[in-house]
Amino acid sequence: MTEDPRGRLRQRIDSDPDSVARDLFKLVLSIVELVRQLMEAQALRRVDEGDLSDAQVEDLGLGLQRLEEAMEDLKSRYGLTTADLNLDLGPLGTLLSDDQ
Amino acid sequence: MSATARYMFAVARDLDVAQLSGARGFQGAALETVEHEGLAAVVCDVDLAEFGEEPLIRNLEDLDWVEHVARTHNDVVWRVAAVSTCAPLRLVTVCADDESVRDKVDSLRSGLEGVLDRIEGRQEWSVKVLVAPRSGGEPSPDTPATSGADYLRRKREASDRRRDLSVDAMRIAREVHDLAHAHAVASRRLAPQDPRLTGRPEAMVLNGAYLVEADARDAFEAAVHAAGEQHPAVTVEVEGPWPAYSFAVLE
Amino acid sequence: MSDIDLHATATGLQPTGAGQVSLVDLLDRLLGTGVVLSGEVLISLAGVDLVEIRLNALLTSVRADMARHEGAAP
Repeated sequence: MTEDPRGRLRQRIDSDPDSVARDLFKLVLSIVELVRQLMEAQALRRVDEGDLSDAQVEDLGLGLQRLEEAMEDLKSRYGLTTADLNLDLGPLGTLLSDDQ
Repeated sequence: MSATARYMFAVARDLDVAQLSGARGFQGAALETVEHEGLAAVVCDVDLAEFGEEPLIRNLEDLDWVEHVARTHNDVVWRVAAVSTCAPLRLVTVCADDESVRDKVDSLRSGLEGVLDRIEGRQEWSVKVLVAPRSGGEPSPDTPATSGADYLRRKREASDRRRDLSVDAMRIAREVHDLAHAHAVASRRLAPQDPRLTGRPEAMVLNGAYLVEADARDAFEAAVHAAGEQHPAVTVEVEGPWPAYSFAVLE
Repeated sequence: MSDIDLHATATGLQPTGAGQVSLVDLLDRLLGTGVVLSGEVLISLAGVDLVEIRLNALLTSVRADMARHEGAAP
């Protein structure tokens, strides 16, 4: 009579009303951070392909830099680090790349 | 009087029951053996209010309960393995009574003798290879990017560094595993452990289990430690000897 | 030396060793599948499950969007 508890170790967002805001914020930021990292990786690929003008590269870099700064500001409001935003998707690994 | 059942820890060969005298299982219950066809199942009484099917569904969600059961289970397996050839059972194997314990041993019989033969005189060793976590953000406060293009260039360099480190770590993990395997009679690569479970920040690139002859243990340890010293970029951890869980756990 | 000491020496298992094995290592070996964190995020309020977000589905659609844009001519 052996049991497999894998399905029971779930990540639950806190049910306490007082921390709902923080937990939802964390969830939303996690998705925003994912998109930011995907955009950054995509930008590097486009630069590698060499089909962007110098002005486009410059604009892309500045835009991403602003985005990263904005993310740092948002994270600091709730004392969150990038590691805090990393949610586990099971077989797909973690939401954010392990490298970040 | 609450109903009890038999919790099975392990099935052992050549176990001298006297060696277990005074040993306890759960809630102070004495460790006992159920003999069957030359083998001894090591059991103890447990309360069905805690270990019955319904209570188990609840209790297995409680990590503190799971930890307590795992540690008690391990302590018993360890003690039995120190004085016999012992095949551990998976966590929470509960039988109604001694008759069903014997039925359980029967159902395991076909694999059991082979498993016991394989682990006799051998122990398990754990070899883990870990890599220090890469720093998340690049050093920015002192030297902010001078332009958009510079920002992208730095991101590109950081990405290349991470990729190179990753490739190196996997290669080293393969080398260490091959070396450990060469000194063992059997090996298994287990899934690397999630840092959130280990509580350590390092990324694990190898989580290997190796079945090593008792008299080959010194050579095994020396070889793996030497490999670790040749690769300062990673940490190589060797633990053991342990009971041969990964090569003997019975369903 | 008692019989227990002799045999323990023969198998090499240290009597104090059991406590030094990490919980994760134990569960990896004693559970059928090891310990895995599930990929679902469950948002509940006061014990009532409200929203179950399947983040893997979200990830798939974001990546599909990026792939479509990659294919478009600049």
